[in-house]
Amino acid sequence: MAFEDVWKKISWLYYQYILVTALYMLEPWERAIFNSILISVAGMAVYTGYVFMPQHIMAILQYFEMVQ
Amino acid sequence: MTESSANKPGNGQVCHRVKNGVKPGRNGFIKNHHHYHHQQPMYCYPEDKVQHTACNGSSGLGLYSRPFIESFEETPMLVAVLTYMGYGILTIFGYLRDFLRDWKIERCHIAREREEQRDFVPLYQDFENFYTRNLYMRIRDSWNRPICSVPGAKVDLVERVSPDYNWTFDYTGKVVEGVINMGSYNYLGFAENTGYCADASAEVTMKYGVGVASTRQEMGNLDRHEEMEELVAKFLGVESAMAFGMGFATNSMNIPALAGKGCLILSDELNHASLVLGARLSGSTIRVFKHNNMQSLEKMLRDAIVHGQPRTHRPWKKILILVEGIYSMEGSIVRLPEVIALKKRYRAYLYLDEAHSIGALGPGGRGVVDYFGLDPRDVDVMMGTFTKSFGAAGGYIGGRKELMEYLRSHSHSAVYAASMSPPVVEQIIASMKCIMGEDGTTLGRDRVQQLAENTLYFRRRLTEMGFIIYGNNDSPVVPMMLYMPAKIGAFGREMLKRNIGVVVVGFPATPIIESRARFCISAAHTKDMLDTALSVISEVGDLLQVKYSRHKRLPSLD
Repeated sequence: MAFEDVWKKISWLYYQYILVTALYMLEPWERAIFNSILISVAGMAVYTGYVFMPQHIMAILQYFEMVQ
Repeated sequence: MTESSANKPGNGQVCHRVKNGVKPGRNGFIKNHHHYHHQQPMYCYPEDKVQHTACNGSSGLGLYSRPFIESFEETPMLVAVLTYMGYGILTIFGYLRDFLRDWKIERCHIAREREEQRDFVPLYQDFENFYTRNLYMRIRDSWNRPICSVPGAKVDLVERVSPDYNWTFDYTGKVVEGVINMGSYNYLGFAENTGYCADASAEVTMKYGVGVASTRQEMGNLDRHEEMEELVAKFLGVESAMAFGMGFATNSMNIPALAGKGCLILSDELNHASLVLGARLSGSTIRVFKHNNMQSLEKMLRDAIVHGQPRTHRPWKKILILVEGIYSMEGSIVRLPEVIALKKRYRAYLYLDEAHSIGALGPGGRGVVDYFGLDPRDVDVMMGTFTKSFGAAGGYIGGRKELMEYLRSHSHSAVYAASMSPPVVEQIIASMKCIMGEDGTTLGRDRVQQLAENTLYFRRRLTEMGFIIYGNNDSPVVPMMLYMPAKIGAFGREMLKRNIGVVVVGFPATPIIESRARFCISAAHTKDMLDTALSVISEVGDLLQVKYSRHKRLPSLD
C-alpha cells in the first residue's frame, strides 16, 4: 500500500519534471540522451564532493584555527 | 517582466493600491475606493495591474457608466525563467535533429528540393521553418482536429492517431462523441442544425439554390441581400450597411478603399491580421499605439496634427483609428468612450472592428457601443462579422449612407468577389430577427442574458481556483495562461482525454512565453456543462500545476 502511494508520488514528480523541462514533447530516445547527460553530470558532482569534502573541511577548520 | 502596455493606467483610472479609505486621484479629484473593496477582496501586489474606473460622479470624467475591470496579472519570475529554459532545451534538440536530417542519418519529412535542382537558387529556406519543424510538429495533434457534427455546445471529433510523432495522422474510424466544446466562437448558440434559423435556411435553399454565380455588382444582388442589409443597418443603429462574403476580406479589401497615400492610420498593437493587411495594402502611413492605452493614442494624435506628414509637414488627408471591440487573444475590451472623446477632440475617424463583440456584449446584444451606452453615429465605420454570434459566415460594414454608397462602387470585395450564398444570408436574417426580438419570442434576449451570466460565472470560478486569467470581466473570451511549451500540448491532450475540447495558442499568435488556453463561452452551455468543464479544468490544472495566480480570492457561496 505504502509503496503504491510512494510510486504514485514519484511518478507525479517525474511528470512535473518532464513538463517543466519540455522533455514531454521529445521522443523517448531524446529523453534518454538528456536524462543520461543530466544524471552523469550530477553523479560526477556528487562523486567529486564525496572525494574532496574531507580535505575542504579540514582546510576550512585550519583557516579558522580551530584545529592544527 | 512581461508587461502588457494596457497595464499603464489610462484616463480616469487609478491603479488599485490602497486597502481602503480615500486617496487623492490623478487630476486632484478625490476618488473613493471603498466601494470596490467590498466587491473584490484581494491582496494587491504592487507590480500587478488591475484597473478599475471610478464610477460616475466623483471623478469628474464620468465617461464610464459601469465599472471597467480588466486584469493582466504579471508573469511570475520563476515561471518565466523555467519557460525560457524549456524553450532553450527544445532549441538544442531542434538543432540536433536538424543536424541528423542534414546528414541523412534520419529521414526528412518536410519539403525539400529535388537533387536536380541543387544548383538553382534555393526555394526552401530551412532555418525560417525551425520553429514549425521542431516545436510545432511535436504537439501538432492539438490543432486542426477534424469535427464531424455541428459545432454547438457539444461536438463530435474524428479520432486519429499518429505512428510517427505527428508527421502523419491515421484515422481509426471511430468518433469521439459529446465533447464539450469550449473552443468555437458560438457566443449566442446559433450554430445549430435544428430550430427556426435552420428551417428558414433550408427553405431558402429550396427556392434559390446554394450558389449565386456572380458578383454583387453584376447579377448577384438578390432581394435577400437587400433585406439583410436593411436589417443589419437597423440592428446596429446606423443609416446603411453592406455585407461581404468573408470577414477577413471585409477588412483587408475595404480599408484600402477608405484610406490611401497621404493618410495616417493609427492601429492598436494587438490588431488582427486582417486589419494589419488592409492597412498595409492601403499604402497609408501606419503608426502603432500601445494596446488599449489612451495616453499613447493621444500623444500620437497630437504629434500627427502638430507635425503633419513626414517630409513636407502638410496636414494629413485623414487620420483613421483602427480598434477592435474585443481582442480575442487578450479578452480585453476597447476603451470606447475615451477613444470617441479623443476622436472628436482631434477630428479623426474611427473604424471599429466588432468581430467578437457583436451579439456578445451589451444588454441588447448590439455590441460594444451598446455595452457602453454610446451613440452608434459617433463611430464612423462599424465593421463586424457574422461568423461568431450569428452562426453564419461573412462580414459587414455599417455607417452613413454616403459612405456606403461610395463603398458599394469602390470596394474590391463588392466589385470582384462572389456574393454571399442564400442559405447563409437567411441564417443571418433569422438569427438577427431572433436577437432583436422581431420573431415574436424572447429567445434572443434570453440568450444574450444567458451568455452574460455564463461569462461572469465562468470567469469568477476560474479566478477563484487560482488560474491567471487575462482580460475584462465581461468578455466571453477567456484566455488562461499556461506559459510553458510542454504544458500547451499536455493541456490540450489531457482535456481531450476527459472529453472537453479546448483551443490552446502558442508562439506566433502570442508572445513567446505567454502561451495560453482560450475558452469561448457560449449561451448554449448550460450550467451543468460549465460545472463539468470547471471541475475538469481544475483537475487538469492541479495535474499540470498551472494555477499560477498569487492573489488569494475568497470563494463566494454560489
